[in-house]
Parts: sequence; C-alpha cells; structure tokens
Amino acid sequence: MVDVKIENVYKYYGSIDGVAAVHDLNMDIKNGEFVAILGPSGCGKSSTMRMISGLEHISAGTISFGGNIVNNLAPKDRDIAMVFENYALYPHKTVFDNVANPLKLAKVSSPEITERVKRATQLLEIDHLLDRRPQELSGGQKQRVAIGRAIVRQPQVFLFDEPIAHLDAKLRARMRSELKRLQVDLGVTSLYVTHDQLEALSMADRVAVMHEGILQQYDTPQAIYEKPANAWVATFVGEPQMSLIECVIRQKGSGVVLDFEGHEIAVGAKVGKVLAASKEREVLAGFRPNHVAINTRKTAGSIPGIIYARQLLGGEILAEAQVNNTMIRARVNTDFSLQLGDKCSVSLSKEDLNVFSADTGVAIY
Amino acid sequence: MSGENVSKRHPIFTADAWGFRASEQMPETINRSPSKLFYVYLMAPAIALLAAITIYPFLWLIYMSLHKVKLGPVDDKWVGLKNYAKLLSDAKYFEGWVLLGKYSSMCLTFEIIIGVTLAVILNNSRFEKPLVTLFLMPMMVSPVVAGLLWFYLYNGTFGWYHWLFESLGLLGGASILGRPETALYGIVIVDVWQWTPLITLITLAGLKRVPQDQLEASMVDGSSPIRNFFSVSLPNIFPFLLIAILLRFMDNFRFIDAILALTGGGPADSTKLLPVYLFDVSFKFFKLGRGGAIAFSLLVVTIILGLILVRIFEDPARKQAMSAQD
Amino acid sequence: MASREIIRYDNSPLLRLAKILTPIFLAVYLVWTLLPLFIMVMASMKDLLDAFDTPDAGDWGGVAMFFDFTPTLKHYYVLFAENNFGVYLFNSLVASLGSALVAVTLGSMAAYSLARMEFRGKKDLLFWIISTRMAPMVAVTVPLYAIFRSLDLVGTLPGLILAFTTFNLPFAIWILKGFFENVPYAIEEAAQVDGCTRFQAFLTIVPLVAPGVGAFLVLCILFAWNDFLFATIIGSGGAKTLPAATKELVQPQNIDWGKIMAAGVITTAPMIPLGLLVRKYLVAGLTMGAVRE
Repeated sequence: MVDVKIENVYKYYGSIDGVAAVHDLNMDIKNGEFVAILGPSGCGKSSTMRMISGLEHISAGTISFGGNIVNNLAPKDRDIAMVFENYALYPHKTVFDNVANPLKLAKVSSPEITERVKRATQLLEIDHLLDRRPQELSGGQKQRVAIGRAIVRQPQVFLFDEPIAHLDAKLRARMRSELKRLQVDLGVTSLYVTHDQLEALSMADRVAVMHEGILQQYDTPQAIYEKPANAWVATFVGEPQMSLIECVIRQKGSGVVLDFEGHEIAVGAKVGKVLAASKEREVLAGFRPNHVAINTRKTAGSIPGIIYARQLLGGEILAEAQVNNTMIRARVNTDFSLQLGDKCSVSLSKEDLNVFSADTGVAIY
Repeated sequence: MSGENVSKRHPIFTADAWGFRASEQMPETINRSPSKLFYVYLMAPAIALLAAITIYPFLWLIYMSLHKVKLGPVDDKWVGLKNYAKLLSDAKYFEGWVLLGKYSSMCLTFEIIIGVTLAVILNNSRFEKPLVTLFLMPMMVSPVVAGLLWFYLYNGTFGWYHWLFESLGLLGGASILGRPETALYGIVIVDVWQWTPLITLITLAGLKRVPQDQLEASMVDGSSPIRNFFSVSLPNIFPFLLIAILLRFMDNFRFIDAILALTGGGPADSTKLLPVYLFDVSFKFFKLGRGGAIAFSLLVVTIILGLILVRIFEDPARKQAMSAQD
Repeated sequence: MASREIIRYDNSPLLRLAKILTPIFLAVYLVWTLLPLFIMVMASMKDLLDAFDTPDAGDWGGVAMFFDFTPTLKHYYVLFAENNFGVYLFNSLVASLGSALVAVTLGSMAAYSLARMEFRGKKDLLFWIISTRMAPMVAVTVPLYAIFRSLDLVGTLPGLILAFTTFNLPFAIWILKGFFENVPYAIEEAAQVDGCTRFQAFLTIVPLVAPGVGAFLVLCILFAWNDFLFATIIGSGGAKTLPAATKELVQPQNIDWGKIMAAGVITTAPMIPLGLLVRKYLVAGLTMGAVRE
C-alpha cells in the first residue's frame, strides 16, 4: 500500500501540437485513500487511470508510487490490480482460473492459491460458481469475478474503471456499498473512474472532477457539492441541477444586493461581504433546488414567474419556474398545487447560494 | 444542461465555458515514446518474406518487360518500351481484353441471377442448411479438375452433356468447345457451375442481416412480400453483391486453370482471354519480355480494381450496414 | 429481439405460383450441381470403352447405358501402381500443408501486430498486402519462374511451398487481422495487470483465436492443394502435385477417361470434407473477410 503522486502529467494522442487528452494534471492520492475521478466521457479520466496502470504511455510528467517513479515500469511490475469496464474476464477459463491467474503468474504455491481464491470468492459470494465459465454468468456475477481477480492478491493500488456501469440500477446501488466496504476493510489505496456522480460522491474520500483534460476540482465530496470551484462543476455535480441566474452586483445602502433583470435579490451578510470585496460586477448566482421556494403568494423579495414544468420525483416534486428567459428549479412538497402556466413567485435563499464570475466561471463565493 | 440560462449579453457562453480551460502551456520535457519493437518483431518475418516473394518478382517483371529476355546464358538485351509498343499493334492483346470482359460479364450475369434467386429461396426454406452444404461442393473442386471433368462431359463422342445438348437439338453436331461461336459459352457454364454457390452464400449472409424492423415496418405499411424484397431486402444486400461482383471479377483475372484444361484458348483463339494469352506468350513461345509487358498491364488493372474493392471494404457506411446484426 | 416469425397474409396468384416453382427450381439446381460430380465418380469406375458410350441423340431411353457397366477400382490401382500418384499425393500434402503452416504462423504474428498497432502508412501497407493476393497468378508466375530457376528452386518442394505462400501469406495476414480485431484488447490488458509480459499477454488470447486460426489454416491448405498454375510451372518435374499430374493424363490421342476421372476423384475427395469442416469460416475466407456469416 502506497501513496500515488501524479505530477505535471500530460497525455497526447498523436502529435503533441494537438489537444491534450490530459493537461498538466497534478494529484496526490494518500496511502489507503479512496479517490474517484468524475467527469463526462472524453474528459481524460480513463486516460489518467490507464497511465497509472501502465497500459498507456505517459506523454509528459511523472507518476510515482510511494516516491518511486513508475513511468517506465510495465503494468506487471507496478503491483496494481484493475477492474475493467467490460470485466475483461478470460472467456476460456473457469471462474477459479480467472481469479487464480494473478497468483499463478506470481508463482504462488498451489495450496495457497486454492486457499486465497476460496477466501476472495467467499467474500464476494461467488464461491459456488468456481467451475463455471464467464459466458455462463450474469453481469453482476462477472463483475464480482473481476473484482475477485483484483483482490485475490494484495496489490499496492486498486484501479476501478467504471466497474459497475453496465449493471442494472438495483445491483449498482448494492455494489456501491459493497465496494466501499471492501475498500475500507482491505485498506488499499484506490482510484475509481466514473461518469456517475452518485458513485463518486457516495464512495470516495476525495473526488477529482475532470473536464476537457483539466482537473477542475479535487476535494471531498461535500466540498465539491457545497463549494464548487467553478460554474461548470456546480452544474455538473448535483441532481437535480443547480440553477444559474445572471446578476449584477449593486451597491445598496451599506451592503450589496444582486440585481437579476431588475429584481432585487437580497443576500446574507457573509455573502455580501465577499461580494462587496470582489472586483467582479457581472456574476452568476447558483441555487440548488432545495434552496429555492416556489409559492402562490407574492412575498417580500420574491420574483414573479410562470410554472414551466413539474416532475414528480417520488417523495417530492421538482418544479421549474420561468422568469423571463431563465429557468429556476425548486424542490417542493407533493401537495404543490400550481399547474403548468400558472403564475407563481420564486423565493431564493439568502445564505445558501454560490456566486461565480460571469466572465470566467470561477467561484467568488 | 443550463443552456436556457445563457444571457443575451454572452451568446458564446455555454456551461462548458464556465470551467477551467487548458492553457497554451506545453510540457517542458516530453517522455521517451514507448517502444513498438514488440510489434515490429512480430511483424517482421511475414513482411520480409512477403516482400521477397512479391516485390522482388514485381521488379523482375518490370525488368523483363524492358528487355528482350534470352533463355540461354546470353545477357538480356535492353529494348526500352519496345515490348509495350508492340502490344499496341497486337490484335490478340486487345482481343484478349475484350474476351476477358465478355467472359466475366457473362459469368457474373448468370451467377448473380441464379445465385440470388437461390439465396432468396433458401433463406425461406426449412432445408437451408443441408441444401447449402450440397450446393457448395463444386467450390471445393480444384479448378483444373473441374475443367477436365467438363471437358469430358462436353466430349463429342463420350460426353453425356454433349449427348444432352444434341438430344435437345442444340449445337447441331459439333461439340460446344469445338466451334468458335459456342466455346466461350462452354467455359462460362463451367464457371457458373463452380462459383454460383459463392454468390448464394454471400447473398444469404446479406439476407440474414436485413433488419427485421425494416421488414416489419414495410409490412405494416402494406407492401407485399415481393415488393418487400425489392424495396427493403435488395437495397440491404446491395453492398454484399457489390463485393461479390468485384471478387468474382478479380478471380476471373486470377484463375485460368479451368480454361487451360477445357480449351487452352482455342478453337481459333475464341477463348483466349488475356491471362490465357499471357500464358501462351510466356510459357509456350517463351517470349518473356513481351509476357512481362502483358503481365504488367494486367497487374495495373487488377490493382485499380483492388483499390476500388478496398474502398468498399473500408467504407464506414458499408461496414455498419454489413455488421448491423452481428 | 424481434421475433423471426414471418406471417404470410398475401395470397396473390404470383406468390402461389412461386410456391409451386421453388421446389422445382431447387430440384433442378440440385441435379445441375451434383450430376457432374456423380458422373465423375461413376466414370472413374468404368474400364471398357463400351462403358463410356452414349446413346444416339434423342434416344432418351438410352440413359440406362450410363449404368451398364461392371464397376472396377482398376484405375485407382493403376494410378498409384504405375503413374506415381503416391508420390504426387505426398507432394500435394507436403506442399499445401507446408505453405499453410508457414502462412498461418507468420501471418498470425503479423496480423496480430497490425490489429493492435497504429502507425503512419498502415493503410498503405495493408493495401500492398492484399494486392499481392489479388494479383493475377499468370502475371506472378512469369517472374517467379525466372527467379526460382536461378535459385534452383524449380521442381522442388521448398520452391513450391514458397510459391504457394505468395497467395497464402497475404490471405492469412489480411483475414487474421480482422479476426484479432474482434478479440477485445481489454483481455490482454487484464493479463498484463495480472502480471503477464506483453508477449505472455498475447499468448493468453491464443486459445480464443485457435478455432478460427485452425479454420483458416484449412482454407490455406485448400487453396494450395487446388492450385494448378504454380504446381505445373514451378513444381514441374520433381514436385508435381495431384492437379498437375491429373492434367498431364490428358494425351492428344486415346484419352483414358476412366483414369482421368479417377485422378479427379483422388484430387477432389479429400477437399470436400475439409471444406465442409470449415463451413462456418468459408464465406469470410472466400471474400477476404469482407463478408461474415
């Protein structure tokens, strides 16, 4: 078990004059930590993992395990275990042989192999399938075999490449908690690549959000949700999505308010102080749906709008109000009576908001 | 995403633009590229051998075509493009091209009509598997043996097919291979016998990939099975047929084994297709220089056909259509 | 998955006619396909010249004459005892198997590299490979003969193996490349992570491709076995194979049809079961991988 350090790493496919798939990446993963890389497809997350595994060449920069640079080590010499998106089981080998393969290659004695395979498969509850071949297994079972193959030896680093992306929703939910449990029990430094924010936020100690080859933010799940580093992260993370409204910071009395198309949005003292100190004037104010209320009656400081859409999300309703050209989303109770096209008034939280520069998207508050 | 929040003042802004962007900065040092030697080692023996047995002969071919090749221990004489110039006044050379074209188009017409009909019938038949197995047996026969077999069947004295033609009042006495007017048909029949099953197999592979939903949609729209075939199946199997046509066309350039066994180019040169003529020039009259010139021209045309074929091979739309239901 | 069931509601006269005509068409085609082969086998067992007689034109009842003979295996015996067919059979076996082994061994190594590696000029290299396979055999034979003569390879088995390899090797490379491309690279990646070297990772997928590689080996044998042009020109003399020997039985005068047909049966017989054995890969093999079943 080691810590992993990624320093100034670049990945180019083809010419280095082209666009970098990974651009100047710096990350450290602490010993025993569970880190997720989250991002949409093509953001560079898989390239990053493949460079760590040694399956792909590192165009520039260094990756080190426990202080030793591994750039020029073959995958087999990096002492890693990896779970692939499509499982990549050996189709012609039985479950036992699939799981035992890394041990056989490491020349572990045969009784010990049997013992360790037994332990790993019992842990994953697939010990009754040892004689089957992969094509006789369900997706969930295949995935467990792939994990079994990874945990059967104690590697320095675990790499998970979207391991549960192809399972159905119910099984995914279960595997999330099981994988997390497994990682804590084994205590192995782990990197988990996913495009699913629920997986990243629920399992990882820290989440690295990537977009267009750039690390956008690397922090705890809570910080990423509550204090997104920029407007892209703010809208990418969080479901239902944060509403962004375009405002101008305006002096009012001793403090400041946000001017949204002529409507005045009051902000709390703490936010006000930060905004007053900022040089930015034009900003994006972001509100999570649970910090927005939509009512029938006009109240002080509310903004008039029209109900554009409403969706039942089980125990609550996601209501969308249209104010001029802007949509503002709110979570409301199921007794919400307004229908599409009804007039409404939108109240925004004074404290629970995020403010970004309208120019660069970088977080101000 | 939140495109609806985009303000009028910032028309270029999308959510994508609100994240951190890559700088122009490039890495200071680039790591050494990974070694591809593993692949090169694996590839080298095959490429080297192939080069030795194809490029070297190809260069030889060009060399010969520019020389008067002497068979003895005498040095070959440089003649420049004379061998090629002579071809221009060689009626048999042009006749060879015409016959090759005639032969190929006749073979293909029959093979496509019969082969596709057969495939459509087999595709709807319960006995598809056993019948296909029986039908494809002629393809396994060595072409020269096929030629000899039909040489016997056509024989004016002992041939049962000759007897059949006679009894049906065809031909009027002479053997089909014996007269210049009919000999070409004689060799076409053999090619059709041997290679129609290939067209059937290719078409069947195409028919199996006709998307079921298209057929169903067409049926719901109220078209008859026959219309269905022309409006849905045929367009879907067209790329398969195209490949079949090109492959057969090129095989007619490649193989003359059956023709050598059947007629050797006669009678009166009526079946002297260009490759057969080339065979005669090179191995009967041993004019290797002129043979080289003919071979070179034949190669050039084949390579052009090959380029077209590879284009079709690699056309992404075709690839998608042909593997749709894999 | 949509159901494969097709319900026919249409009962137009045209379709009813088609229903009657299809079995007739199939029956006629079956006879047309198999009759020549049947006649070849029968004729190979006929000895006396009378047995080869055909009736007068129009005498349909005379067809019975075809069956009017005492079957004998004399021709087969004579071919092996007097015409050296044992040697030719051996030559055919060695030359076709040898060339197939060379082509598939070297070909699968190259095909693997071409399937896994990207490099500039790959397309051109691939086109060169396939074009060597498409070249007209006669055009290739002329220079090949000249070269082989100077190397004393004409009339030898190694020479013939090499000649067959000119068409089998590009075939093997091209078709096996497509075959390797269908094996997910992730399996080799998993193997490398498990502790394999790059070469060991390649070996892990060998069992996966073995059936296909075997089938294409058989196809290479088939192509080489059936070849006539190289066999007769490069192999003439010391390395005569069955097709070349069969053709040589044809003399200007007094053709012994029974013997020729027997030689044809000997040449053809092993190839039919072999071809049916690789039935699944036949279409891919004969279309250079462009069409798969």
